[in-house]
Amino acid sequence: MTQADARPAVELTGITKRFPGLIANDAIDLDLRRGEIHALLGENGAGKSTLMNILTGIYQPDAGQIRIDGVPVQFASPVQAIAAGIGMVHQHFKLIKAFTVAENIHMGWSETPRRVSAAVLERRTAELAAKFGLAVRPDARVEDLSAGEQQRVEILRVLARGARVLILDEPTAVLTPGEAAALAHAMRGFIATGYAIIFISHKLDEVLEVADRITVLRAGRKIATLPAQDCTQSQLATLMVGREIVAPQRGNAAHDRAIGQIVLQLAGVSAVNDRGLPALVDVDLALHAGEIVGIAGVAGNGQRELSEVLTGIRAVTEGQVRIGGTIMPNAEPAAFLARGIGHIPEDRLRSGLAPSMAVADNAVLREYNRPPVARGLFFAVRAAAALARRIVADASVLVPNMRMPVRNLSGGNQQRLVGRREMRVAHQALVAAYPTRGLDVGAIEQMLRYLIEMRDRGVGVLVISEELEEVLGIADRVAVLFQGRVMGIFPAAEADAERIGLLMGGRAEMAA
Amino acid sequence: MRVQRVASISGGVVIASRIGAVIAALLVGGAIFALAGYDVPMLADNVVEGSLTEFGIEDLGLLVSPLILTGLAVAIMLRIGLWNIGADGQFYAGAVAATVTGLAFPGGNDAVMLVVLALAGFAGGALWILLPALARAYLAVDEIITTLLLNFVALLFVNYLCTGPMRDPGQAITSASARVTTEIPPLMGDLHWGLVAAIVLALILALVFAYTPWGYEVRVAGANRFAAHYAGIPVRKRLMQVMLLSGGIAGLGGMAEVAGTVHRLQGGISNNFGYLGVMVAVLAGGLPIAVLPAALLMAVILNAGIVLQSYGVTTYEVLALTGLVLLFIAISEQLAYYRLLRRV
Repeated sequence: MTQADARPAVELTGITKRFPGLIANDAIDLDLRRGEIHALLGENGAGKSTLMNILTGIYQPDAGQIRIDGVPVQFASPVQAIAAGIGMVHQHFKLIKAFTVAENIHMGWSETPRRVSAAVLERRTAELAAKFGLAVRPDARVEDLSAGEQQRVEILRVLARGARVLILDEPTAVLTPGEAAALAHAMRGFIATGYAIIFISHKLDEVLEVADRITVLRAGRKIATLPAQDCTQSQLATLMVGREIVAPQRGNAAHDRAIGQIVLQLAGVSAVNDRGLPALVDVDLALHAGEIVGIAGVAGNGQRELSEVLTGIRAVTEGQVRIGGTIMPNAEPAAFLARGIGHIPEDRLRSGLAPSMAVADNAVLREYNRPPVARGLFFAVRAAAALARRIVADASVLVPNMRMPVRNLSGGNQQRLVGRREMRVAHQALVAAYPTRGLDVGAIEQMLRYLIEMRDRGVGVLVISEELEEVLGIADRVAVLFQGRVMGIFPAAEADAERIGLLMGGRAEMAA
Repeated sequence: MRVQRVASISGGVVIASRIGAVIAALLVGGAIFALAGYDVPMLADNVVEGSLTEFGIEDLGLLVSPLILTGLAVAIMLRIGLWNIGADGQFYAGAVAATVTGLAFPGGNDAVMLVVLALAGFAGGALWILLPALARAYLAVDEIITTLLLNFVALLFVNYLCTGPMRDPGQAITSASARVTTEIPPLMGDLHWGLVAAIVLALILALVFAYTPWGYEVRVAGANRFAAHYAGIPVRKRLMQVMLLSGGIAGLGGMAEVAGTVHRLQGGISNNFGYLGVMVAVLAGGLPIAVLPAALLMAVILNAGIVLQSYGVTTYEVLALTGLVLLFIAISEQLAYYRLLRRV
């Protein structure tokens, strides 16, 4: 940079952030120029969110420096970051649905006039919308808007507060292709007037299309910053998931073992998510006794729904779920449990545990209605406590008091407890969504070893994970999920990072 | 000294904090009464004396039994994470059902008729919450609003019945039905066996929630509906069952009030017991067994209020005292999780 006005809009040097047992950001350097769209690419957990939370003042870095237009700054709070012209549009919109667009724009803003009437707010909003070229309807209620329109409101809100640097967190995740194209057009317009944009995404094609430069993060470190025109999808995929993927090594020789019959099967299954949008589309998947199938994919591509239809929690809209050839009733988790399907859910606190209840009550959640806990009409409290102590001990969780609410356990201990509890009931199959999430290195090894042991006992194990290495390390077969479709399923021995990375990014399986 | 929040506390600490809260509320209330010019020691003396006479204890008992039942009705719905603000309406509905049944079969005053009346009262209360229960289970309609609004419907319905079709022409009082001849046998003076039945019901419910798979399922569904569904618990079914049981128990309160205390259907028969039941259940932390002491405390406060009013203390001041007790208990609930540590 020779010219003074070409100083980076934002310059991060050596940003480091540690959390207990984890280095989320390890000496990351990043520079953002005026008039560029800079893509931040990386798997979940690569450190993108942490880095952006530091830039927006939510976290303070343990080491490193932030410069805005060459001036060193320290943000003690998000308010200071906003004052310095950093604005972020989050993936999950932070709008008040019952309020109008104009009200949302003016909420919590120092420049909002003291005496407000709907007409004044709407006129000001219309002026702002014209100034920034973002078409919004000031008098519309946010709940009546499409996702794309809501996003424009969010962007307008950030720009109105004087942001010169715009951070967009996976902005296209909720958009239709048409809306995504409109967003790309709007982004081009902003940078032409001297704004700078950081664009967070998993989608390789989109990043190549929109960004000027691309920075890849992996495991908390910056791997590279490259001009977009020099990049290819396969190159980015390899950078993103890691060049060296640990070869299958944990006794993964499937041909040495007898793979059994199909235990759990999806035949032409489609399902919708909680918002009623298609989440799984015509999925065929068969899990055999004594094998581990890994599901790779970027989070939010139907993993939650997949694990839920496989365990009877979510109804299918089309197709069948079969256990050992029997067609299962729709959305009856008890029937799946009775047939020996265990489930480590994606979000343990939301759906796997009752946080306010005692550790003992949570440990017996899957066996409360069978002996020894259920004795005739009665819930045998002592037997329940004894069983709970055994499960807790097997899970290597140290609990000072079994009557303690389970929410007081650490996330890792909650995960171990759920894992152990589900393994006890999984006689046929275990559906494990992110089973190692929140665990430290030693506990991860232990969890993976348990999964292999279950496989060796003839249980079918389905592992959903963002950790590609982990999946490849223990799985016999790998399926890639993208936008609710299985993009390909192949033996783990034939998998390589580039191929899986491409599939995860939505490139269809080519002749292989 | 510094303050530290602890993750979990023992039952003893909970009980101690509640007792401390009541004492603190009485001290603050006493101080305010003293500032307002009342002779507080004299009032306190009279309240204690008034409550401990045979007459006072009977009055207390007559207040406690309906409070236990409405308190239980609210408490068991709290177990599944829902608020029954409509115990008052269900109480009325139970009273109507029991009165109609009692008047239809005037002959016997035997055990069979009491059972029939109890069933009628239960059914009336359950019927009154049926609509909110269906709306909650199948349409996710907020039960707080629906149960609350049905109270006013019940109140107006009872007023209509008492001034219209069910009015006893021989009565000087305008708004009361004819006398129901079936009576709950007396225990002591005016006090009847309804009190014992209410206490037994509280004990049974406490055992059911702690020692049956059904109770466990309800507790899980109340703590986390998603986890309950995941675990294979039929959440919607349990929700319906608990809500109908809750309405039925409040209805039993109405039946006992008719058959044990008032012997007629009349306009103000609920005496706000349904709303007070919400307070009782909150004081009890939603635990059926704790409803017993909470109902007793509420009855003592109500009884004290009657005594205080006879010494010129206004209803508003009595209500303020009740509010203070609740406020202090709510504060103590949080404070119980903190302990003081000596700085080292």
